[in-house]
Amino acid sequence: MSKRQIKAVLHRTALCALVWLALTRADPGAFAPGVAVVAAAVWLSLRLLPARHPLALWRLALHLPRFLAGSVTGGLDVARRALSRDMGLRPGWISLRADLPPGGRVALGCEVSLMPGTLAAGSRADGRLLVHVLDTEAGFERMLGREAQALARIAELEHSASSPGGGDQA
Amino acid sequence: MWLDLSSFALTALGLFFFVAGTAGLLRFPDTFSRLHALTKADNLGLGCVALGVALQAAHWTDVLKLALIWALALLAAGTVAQLVARAALSEPRARKRAGERP
Repeated sequence: MSKRQIKAVLHRTALCALVWLALTRADPGAFAPGVAVVAAAVWLSLRLLPARHPLALWRLALHLPRFLAGSVTGGLDVARRALSRDMGLRPGWISLRADLPPGGRVALGCEVSLMPGTLAAGSRADGRLLVHVLDTEAGFERMLGREAQALARIAELEHSASSPGGGDQA
Repeated sequence: MWLDLSSFALTALGLFFFVAGTAGLLRFPDTFSRLHALTKADNLGLGCVALGVALQAAHWTDVLKLALIWALALLAAGTVAQLVARAALSEPRARKRAGERP
């Protein structure tokens, strides 16, 4: 078993154990079946999604506050536009360089879709992420390059992170 | 008392964001802009409701469960938004209304 696989098993076991504790309200009587259930769940998860890219969980944790702040700003911005008389929409498209594995690109798209004013709409043929921008004059796209870099670092792929400000006009 | 008031305030705020998201869904001009309203406003709304309910939790695992619900809804929102946007891109009518050329 490689180091990468051991790390994946540890991460997934911790996650599944946490879910089991939440579902059973940490009832001591549920610990024994929990061991079997967690083991089965980890085995199944490794079969369905083999360990490829180890995640740096501390980087993920460090990234969380910015993600939360971004999703609050995003929600406030869209709520303000939805309820204002002049919604101030100037929709447009940009494409973002994302040298991430396919799973990473979906994760980036997921995050981008919850950040203020941006929405991922799949990839183009050349592998760039296609992003819809709600207001092309609000500068929403400035943060995208940084998000892609942060995700690449979480997936421990910093050598292939996109350049800063990797979003440009499509 | 203060805990209850905070719960009321947070869940009310959450409902406000759900209403705002729905207003955006109805008012925004095209599929893509509507997806913005749905994903972002509902994500924040659910976060506020979950926080408000978490203040009433009797057990720490209830807080964990709420966090899990929020995280899964977040993941679903982000994923579904991408899928709908991608599907809409392949539909000429939606593309025309959005006035784009990717």
